[in-house]
Amino acid sequence: MGEAATKAAGFAHRWRLGSADWPGTVPAGQLLRRTEGLAYWLVVAPLAARLPARFAYRVACWRGDWSFQYWPEKRSEIVRNLRQVLGDELGPEEAERLARDLFRFISCEVIDVMRLRGRASSLGRLVEIRGREHLDAALAGGKGAILCTAHFGSHLSAFSLLHASGFPLTTLGRWWWNYTPGLSSAERRFWDLAYARRVLRHRQRPNIEPFPGRIQVAAQAAAVLRANEVVMICGDAPPLDADRPRTIEVSLLGRKTKLLPGVVTLAQLTGAPVLMAFVHRSADYRRQVLEISPPVPVQDETAMALGRCVAAMDTAIRTRPAHWFFWFETSDLARLGLLPAAPTGTAISPQPAVGEPTVPLEKGEA
Amino acid sequence: MEAVINDYISRELVQDPTLLPLGNATPLLETGVLDSLSLLRLMLFVQEHFGIEVDDVDLVPENFASVDAICAYLRSRAGGRAGQAGAHG
Repeated sequence: MGEAATKAAGFAHRWRLGSADWPGTVPAGQLLRRTEGLAYWLVVAPLAARLPARFAYRVACWRGDWSFQYWPEKRSEIVRNLRQVLGDELGPEEAERLARDLFRFISCEVIDVMRLRGRASSLGRLVEIRGREHLDAALAGGKGAILCTAHFGSHLSAFSLLHASGFPLTTLGRWWWNYTPGLSSAERRFWDLAYARRVLRHRQRPNIEPFPGRIQVAAQAAAVLRANEVVMICGDAPPLDADRPRTIEVSLLGRKTKLLPGVVTLAQLTGAPVLMAFVHRSADYRRQVLEISPPVPVQDETAMALGRCVAAMDTAIRTRPAHWFFWFETSDLARLGLLPAAPTGTAISPQPAVGEPTVPLEKGEA
Repeated sequence: MEAVINDYISRELVQDPTLLPLGNATPLLETGVLDSLSLLRLMLFVQEHFGIEVDDVDLVPENFASVDAICAYLRSRAGGRAGQAGAHG
């Protein structure tokens, strides 16, 4: 069930709060960004989130613009990734604009997370949920429902809102900091407190984490569905090396990629319908729309069914490229087969995870 | 029971033909025969075929390490249920 996760762990290596050599050998620019990242998560965003929305998200955009300007290597990497994958669809100026938006969205997501406090009403006022009737109809069938999404927009916050609005929702995926080697316990604790704690307050059950060797994961998800509840799974996670024999080749962004068919297989085994769900941010950066589709047919051949789910992701990404967080990490795109494999010795994110650290704390390691 | 379980796993879950014929003591987890989703398949089969539901708390590697281990676990479940029925009945 490795595909049922959220974001790539490569971020952990690159944006970690500290490391064994910290701070002695950390260049000044990296140190500055680390400090800024900490300050943003711990001070600026919690305070800004209490401001009226237009001010809160303006602060986030300023912060995104700052990161865009003072992290030129990451900015170039994103632009390069966008242009390599989307090709002629994207001119250099448009790629720059999308990269800037990606930085802004990343900062806006922290505000989203902070506005989940209480009953999440301060975020709820900003997010329109479209297609609730599809989810209602799916649950009326009595076999639960699977919401399939991508690492797209502030999806974890949006699904928190969906739960807060009355749908019993559980996520399936890994928190990146729980398995990334070399992270200090302080770093793990930080992400638990700053991120997971806030998001998981709005879940029906504890997150189902598909660590290697946890054979009960699919059964746990099936139990959620048997209880006529909702399971959220990200279908675009790059597969682990160990899972590659079970992948299925599908087309994504005009290229062949291999993804695990767990979403489809789980649906086939349990009879639960699969609905695609994507959240996107409006031009004012504060309002968002979570769109839930009607059920996708999944009871026929697995590859075809998975192809339908991936086609929906493809459309969402092409329509709003800056919302897809994988542009941020070349290694994730390489693992998906969208870019050439990284040279030997280049850090590759080991696994997908449930909680994407979509806030550039720091590029911690080369 | 061993024959039925072995036959189902061999037929439906083994993807690497070099593992066939499957021995009852063959490790199922280390060889990749059983993963999270295939275990769910197996649970559904066991429920349908033997009428035995697998408790979530019993979903540990020891109970599914081999065909022998699976059958030992299922017998203990069936025995436990019979015992409980007797105690209540």
